[in-house]
Amino acid sequence: MRLNKTHMPDPRIVTTFILVVVFLGSLLFSDWGNLVSHGGGGAMIRLMGKGLISLELSYDFILLALEASLITLAYAVCAISVAVLFGFIGGLIASGGLFSSIVTKLSAIVFFRALLAVVRSIHELIWAWLIALALGFTPMSGILALAIPYSAILARVYADFLNDVPEPSLQALRTAGATPLQVMLYGRIPAAAKEMVSYGFYRFECCIRSASVLSFIGLQGLGYQIGVSLDDLLFAEVWTLLLFLVGLIILVDYWGSTLRRFL
Amino acid sequence: MSKIHFSVPIFSIGLILLLTIFSWSFFLIYFDFTDGFSLTAVKEFLSRLIGWELGGDSAFLSSQSWFEAFRLGLTTLKMSILAIGIAAVFSFLTFAPGARTMVFSDKGILASPIPAAIFAVIKVSYTLTRGIPELLWAMLIVFVLPPSIFAGAIALAIHNYGVLGRLLGEAVENMDQRPIKALRSSGANSIQILFYCIMPEIFPKFLTYLLYRWEVVIRTTVVVGFLAAGGLGRELKLSMSWFHYDEVGVLLVTYMLLVFLVDYASLILRKYVN
Repeated sequence: MRLNKTHMPDPRIVTTFILVVVFLGSLLFSDWGNLVSHGGGGAMIRLMGKGLISLELSYDFILLALEASLITLAYAVCAISVAVLFGFIGGLIASGGLFSSIVTKLSAIVFFRALLAVVRSIHELIWAWLIALALGFTPMSGILALAIPYSAILARVYADFLNDVPEPSLQALRTAGATPLQVMLYGRIPAAAKEMVSYGFYRFECCIRSASVLSFIGLQGLGYQIGVSLDDLLFAEVWTLLLFLVGLIILVDYWGSTLRRFL
Repeated sequence: MSKIHFSVPIFSIGLILLLTIFSWSFFLIYFDFTDGFSLTAVKEFLSRLIGWELGGDSAFLSSQSWFEAFRLGLTTLKMSILAIGIAAVFSFLTFAPGARTMVFSDKGILASPIPAAIFAVIKVSYTLTRGIPELLWAMLIVFVLPPSIFAGAIALAIHNYGVLGRLLGEAVENMDQRPIKALRSSGANSIQILFYCIMPEIFPKFLTYLLYRWEVVIRTTVVVGFLAAGGLGRELKLSMSWFHYDEVGVLLVTYMLLVFLVDYASLILRKYVN
């Protein structure tokens, strides 16, 4: 990498420079004093490492881990099924492609996208806390907490996919006299379908990770069992549960990428 | 008997339907969804969140609570920068030996066993760190490090190392292979290929991914702060456990402002890079 003196500096180098300076600044202005005060960290790492090489694989525990995985999966499926539905509807609105007059189109885009941005700005577990405080620490709160921000994320990304469909193919439909709804149904949606399915799978995978930590509001699942095992410092059990989670993620990842090749 | 063809899309639709039906029936059978759900509870909660019944004593009207929230917001911002910075350094150092096309020849034969072993270790580390969410890493980290913004940053960094590493690895593997082959056939070694062929294409992508992930990290930093005791997250947890809902409201607004700030900074930098 070199700096070109005669021309404008390369944006990549400038950006890298900014990022490195900001990172080093954060390192410098952090309080490092309490880092060393914690005795026994090394011993704990050894204990964790020992747990990783002697996984808890008894029949009963595997059954327990399987049950926890299924609960986490069920939360994720419930949340993502709602989120895909509302994300799709929201995407149609936020893309502005359904409106013919420019005024309604712009106001729909601006208002709806702003709403989506506000909803997305809050992490799903903060949503979980807020909903649990308002409605109680029930599975319903957990599903809602995941479904709300995931709907907003999917709506925003789906709207972008629908907008990114190349214009010439849509122009052909329009000259044939298609209404905005018909352009959407026969032009935009089929063209964006592959990306939409693909992104939906990626979000499903994220949703499983998020669902695994719904123990944050006391709900069952992998995170809950991991918390129970951590309380007794049973790292062999913790690692087994973590590997179940990773396995679940790998399965969904593989399913999504296989499906993508067939679309 | 005619042979039944296995169709991935049809199998997928079936499995999605099955999963959806089973998951919803599981919760509908075992839990009463109407239990605890009332609009008045939501309304009451929202009015407490803005400190309505407190009138002039609401934290929203106190400049001191805003000042404190902004100070904590700055700590949270620092934690997110530390996290994404550490993740960036480690993923940047490992992505090349972790890319299939860099390690294996065109015919899929390993160059020598040592790079192949390094490749395997890196790939496994990406999968493990990526598959486990930040919050679970934080639950483990607090056993090793004292609760601080640094502990939170490490937990965030571990997960994002895997995410960034995988994204970069896929970017390298999906590159146009022809220029690489041309260079290799004219006698360039892997280091030369990395710097003259891969870096120019991957580096802008690396910056873009990094900035995208920073947007995700700033949202998660607050949640990790709940556990690892740092910044806005810690204070949010304390205010919630004391039922100081108006303070929770102030902290939430600060959090959202911070997220918009980071989203905006990331957008500007991404536009500038590309």
